[in-house]
Amino acid sequence: MIKISGVSKSFNGQLVLDDISLEVKENEILVILGESGTGKSVLLKNMIGLLKPDEGSIFIDSEDITKLSEKALLKIRKGIGYLFQEGALYDFMNVFENVAFPLKEHTSLKQQEIINKVQAVLKEIDLAGIERKYPSELSGGMKKRVALARAIILGSKILFCDEPTSGLDPIRSRDISDLIKDVSKRMGCSTVVTSHDIKNAFRIADRVALIHKGKIIAVGTPSDLKSSDDKFVREFILC
Amino acid sequence: MDKILNYIINLIADVGAAICFFFDVLGNIFCGKIRVGAVLKQVYEQGINSVVIIALTSLASGAVLALQGYVAMSRFGAKEYVAHLVALSLVRELGPVFTALIFSGKAGARIAAELGSMNVNNQMLATRTLGIDPIEFLIVPRMLACFIVVPLLAVMAEVIGIAGGYMIGILEAHVEGTFYINQTIKAVTYVDFFSGFIKVIFFGIIIGWICCYQGYNTTGGSLGVGKFTTRAVAYSYIAIILSNAVLTKVILTFWG
Repeated sequence: MIKISGVSKSFNGQLVLDDISLEVKENEILVILGESGTGKSVLLKNMIGLLKPDEGSIFIDSEDITKLSEKALLKIRKGIGYLFQEGALYDFMNVFENVAFPLKEHTSLKQQEIINKVQAVLKEIDLAGIERKYPSELSGGMKKRVALARAIILGSKILFCDEPTSGLDPIRSRDISDLIKDVSKRMGCSTVVTSHDIKNAFRIADRVALIHKGKIIAVGTPSDLKSSDDKFVREFILC
Repeated sequence: MDKILNYIINLIADVGAAICFFFDVLGNIFCGKIRVGAVLKQVYEQGINSVVIIALTSLASGAVLALQGYVAMSRFGAKEYVAHLVALSLVRELGPVFTALIFSGKAGARIAAELGSMNVNNQMLATRTLGIDPIEFLIVPRMLACFIVVPLLAVMAEVIGIAGGYMIGILEAHVEGTFYINQTIKAVTYVDFFSGFIKVIFFGIIIGWICCYQGYNTTGGSLGVGKFTTRAVAYSYIAIILSNAVLTKVILTFWG
């Protein structure tokens, strides 16, 4: 479904991604683990075309998105849900308007159908009744859940989540991780999650990729990584 | 030497990027990618909210202009011409320039700060990930609102400024009311009105362009929002004042 091959990216001469190759299968949750500042978010931004790699290609459904113009990328992105680290909800829209926004833009659903769909999604993520609240009135965890609702409302088959548990307490982190897993499995999404939260990463991942100094140093199931002999992998996991 | 060269290269690149940005916005407008509801919302937020401050400033400017004009013209026994002075000054010069300066300080700063904080909070990127062009969704409505609102506010400012002059003309200069109004109507010709109006249309475009461009390119968190917003207002002021000088010369050369 998603194939990354030989992707490199540098900023001001500093190499952030170094010859990354990775594959995300259908209906799979792949967690990209790594320390802060190792290029996880940069990789995700390359995968959705917000950044262009210096080298390499990224195929989504057999289309190389690194060759596409911004206009063509806008069309591709309609089929991808993207959850930002801080939610990135529009602060001039309330919760209902934020979640309904992709439906209003990309579907011809009637107002009542949109209302029903938004209410159903909000109920699903356990946030029914907060439709009229603005993002500034929500807690960090609620913002992320609303942002997740906005990301999945179009029923995308690809979901990217950038550090979904950062800044949350352990219970909220577990809840949002479980929510991502539930949603992904139910919708049959290929999901890529970046994180440095090992416990929750292993909890939801089908496969884990460990990134260190811009390189993928290990890929496999959580149990593969747990039994790895690599010094850094062991140090990172046991930390 | 290298620093100067780098500065010049960056400046040229920045001006080029700003021109591309402007044509991108125009392209959206000419392709009909206009969200009418969003434009009307911006017209309200930028325009209606600027009415009071612009009205007060114009009323006071018209009154002060009439007071000073009355004192100066009385020395030559020509106090009856106060209406001419007030009307022509406001319509040809002060109305458009004052309106543009106040608008860029109020609504322009708001546009730059709003877009800037959306940018640093990833809302602009989120728009792109949702498959929507942020230029079409966020920039076009704001720029179009500037194009519409600034000329309307300037006309309002001119009328209110003349009313301020009228009050002083009657109360201080003891000019008869109907005489003052007749003198004003006689004084302002179509050429006078349109020479000011052309300027104000240009100022509306300049303010919208500069403030949206600065907001759209804001980086550096909350500090960046402050920096780019200040820059938006400062650049707008400079552009208004310099372009006013050029436009005045061009208009006087071709139109008198």
